[in-house]
Parts: sequence; C-alpha cells; structure tokens
Amino acid sequence: MNWIGLYTMLRREVQRTLRVVIQTLVAPAISAALYIFIFGSVIGTRIDDFAGVPYISFVFPGVLMLSIINSSFASASSALYFMRFTKGIEEILIAPFSYIEMLIGFVGSAVTRAMMVSFLILGVGVLFGAVTLTHPFWFIFYIASIASIFAMLGILVALWAESFEQLQVLNTFIITPLTYLGGIFYSITFLPSTAVLLTKVNPFFYFADGVRSSMIGYSEANSTIGLVMIISLIVLLGVLVTHLFRIGWKIRT
Amino acid sequence: MSNVPALEIKNLVKRYGEKVAVDNISLTIPKGSFFGLLGPNGAGKSTTIHSITGITQPTSGQILIDGVDVVKDYKLARTKVGLSPQEFNVDIFATPEQLMDYMGGYYGIPHDQRWEKINELIARFDLEKHRKVKFQKLSGGLKRRALLGRALIHTPDLLILDEPTAGVDVEQRHDLWAYLKEMNEGGKTIILTSHYLEEIQYLCNDIAIINHGRIIAHGTKDEFMKEGKSVEQTYLEIIKSEKPA
Repeated sequence: MNWIGLYTMLRREVQRTLRVVIQTLVAPAISAALYIFIFGSVIGTRIDDFAGVPYISFVFPGVLMLSIINSSFASASSALYFMRFTKGIEEILIAPFSYIEMLIGFVGSAVTRAMMVSFLILGVGVLFGAVTLTHPFWFIFYIASIASIFAMLGILVALWAESFEQLQVLNTFIITPLTYLGGIFYSITFLPSTAVLLTKVNPFFYFADGVRSSMIGYSEANSTIGLVMIISLIVLLGVLVTHLFRIGWKIRT
Repeated sequence: MSNVPALEIKNLVKRYGEKVAVDNISLTIPKGSFFGLLGPNGAGKSTTIHSITGITQPTSGQILIDGVDVVKDYKLARTKVGLSPQEFNVDIFATPEQLMDYMGGYYGIPHDQRWEKINELIARFDLEKHRKVKFQKLSGGLKRRALLGRALIHTPDLLILDEPTAGVDVEQRHDLWAYLKEMNEGGKTIILTSHYLEEIQYLCNDIAIINHGRIIAHGTKDEFMKEGKSVEQTYLEIIKSEKPA
C-alpha cells in the first residue's frame, strides 16, 4: 500500500479546503448557527418538544447531515472534475497508485473534509446547547459512511460530467429532493401511511436517522435496515468506481 | 549497467475509434541513450509517450520499462519513469515546491528525503525566488523548469521530455540543455520530443521519426547527419518523401 501517497492526497485536500476556507468551513458553520437561531429561538419556542427533545435538537442532526453530504459530494466532484479539466489527473495516473488506492485517496480526501465540517458544526451545536453527543462511535461511523457514499457519487458525477453545469445535475434533481423528503425537518409520525412507506424506502431517511440517534439518542427507523443499506451502498459504489478507474473511463485516453 | 533496455516497445497500437493514432510501433532504447523522437503535429509522439507513462491505455502491444511491463506491473513501472509533459497538467494555484512535494509524496518518498530533493531541484533550476509563487503567475520558462523538477523528484531511470523548451528563452534553453547533457552523461536515459531540431541535433545520439503513427526512420545522429546534412535537412527530406505526389 502506498501510504505516503495516500497521505499526500489527504494532505492536499486539506490544503485545498483551507485555501477556500470561507466556502468550505465558514459558510456551513454560519448556516448551522442560523438554523439554531431560527429553529431554536424563533420557531422552536412555539413548537412542542419532539420525542422529549426541543425541536432544534430534532432538526439539527439533519442539518449536520446536509452539510456532510454537501461537503463530501462537492469535495470529490469538484476535485476530480477540476483535475480532468486541467489534466491534473495525469499526476495521479502516472504515479504508483493502484485503482483501489485511487479510490481510497479520493474518498478519504472527501471524508476528511466532511469530518472537518462535521466537527465544526457539532461544536457550534454544542456551544449553543442545541445538541449533545450520545454515541460518539456511531456518530463517527455515520458521518464517515455517509461522506463515503456521497464522495463516491461525487466521483461518478465528476467522471460523467462534461460541463460545470452537469456537475450540479445529481445534486439538484436527486440529492436535494431526497434529502428534504427524508424526514430532516419533521417526524414520520406526522405523515399519512403512504408517505411513511415512501419515506422508509428513501435511503436519506436512514442516513438522517442514524446521525440523529447517535447525537440525541432518538430513532424512528429500523437501524438494522439502515446499516445494511449504508454498507451495501458503500460496497456497490466502491466496486463501480474502482472498475471505472481500472478501465480509465473519461480519465485515460 | 545491465543489458535490459531502458525502454522496449513491441507492436504498440493505439486506436481512437476508427482513427489509428499509433500503428504497430516497435522500438528499443538502450540504457544511457539520449533519444530524439521527431514527427509533425499529430504524428503519434504524444500518444506513444502517454502509452509509456500510463496516461493512455494501449489498444494492443507491449511496453517494458527496464524489463517491467507497464500494464501488468504498472505500479513498479511508474516508479521508473518521469514525465515533463507538453501541456501544463497542473493545479495552477500550487507553487513549484508544492508541485514537487505532492508528486514526491505520490511516489511514496519520505518527508525528509523528499524535501532534500526538492531543495536540490529548486537550486538546480534556479527557482529559489519563485518557489512559493503560484504556477499561474510564473513565466513560460519558469513553468517548464517547475515541471522538469516535478518529473525528476523521484529520480527516475527514464526521463521523458515532451517539448520541454517550448516557450523558454534562448539563455534558459541553453542552461537546460547543459543540465540535460549532464544528467545523460551521469547515466540517465532521456527521451526528448521537440520541434526545435537544433536541440535534437545538439543533445540526442539516437533519433527516430514518427509519422501517421508509424516509425518511418530510425538511426544514430551520425546516420541522420551523413553527407554534411543537418538533422533538420534529413528530417524534412524524409517527411516530404512521405507525402503523396
């Protein structure tokens, strides 16, 4: 295993993240603070507790999950697409990386950025008393797993896209709608039975529920189904991305 | 020095759909050679180079670097070759020292060893004043030197230079030539493509001409310069004789 090479990929992504710190770290932290103000102080005071916790505590893990998705997807898709665009990808292609190492490097870089964002937002949440951290191990597991999934989706989009606009297609038409319909802002107990059924086949519901249960200890989903879904997606996407790296789709001429 | 060639290409073919970019090329380059690869634009030079370095996937054929197959044992093969490409394939916001640092890291070179080499290359290519300047702010000549430094960071056995002096002023070009000669005399095998044929004549001891994806001439510099001709004159004669009447 090319450990120094992998560490270099991670180090480069951290430096890239810090190069545009307002966009990558400051903006999500400000958004989190605004959510706390609106859902905690403005709206939250007029809403009864959810499952024994204040509304902001119910919503905040979903807000954090949104940031994980956005940062990991943006990190992987923009890094790889920019590398394709500038031919900087050739630096990786001529270096002694196996296809699995390329996968680990790109995903690890995106997960690293997502971790930085997650802990910053968690810090904001804890500072303002909006959330706690009930199960630290599961919290790390869920944010790393969700970030890995969206990093690999970001890689797929970066390989497929032929323009900066296409880079946003998946985010606009799939990720954002499924995220908002995944029970971030509401409990599924408020939904009619058909909508509950639809929510339960939406993977984003399990992502949000996993993060929420690790933070405030409240869960509405079957965690076993959620874990199977998350691990299956990681394996499926990992195999697909590694295969595409192996055949050099859109990166080797 | 072992008898294994620095580079051996056997029946290399590269097709892009119907277009044949490289048409059954075979070539052997011994260790210590300074090899000039010439040809018009679109002749197949860069495709051949990209096939050697892993940027392009060959359609068929075999490429061995120091006896190591670039497809079957690609990780080891990649450690043996360094490339200074024709196009600036870099993160334009990175500095010369960062480019070398990242590339050295990708090649698995430990921190202290890597920085010792970076400092050596920065000094050798007179980049000290520019080591922390973003690539996009550098002049053409400085960009070329930064890329050359990046190609040499892992001390490769085989160095491939694709138009390394394009956009470089005369003084810097001569300085670069002196360095390349010094490296070749030290035993490094170098493959050079260039549109400056006086550069090829000055530096190379073996020359091949590629056109329409095929090797149409291959010999020593002396063979290219027989009867008092320059390499450029011989090159033009050969290329013109290829064109249909």
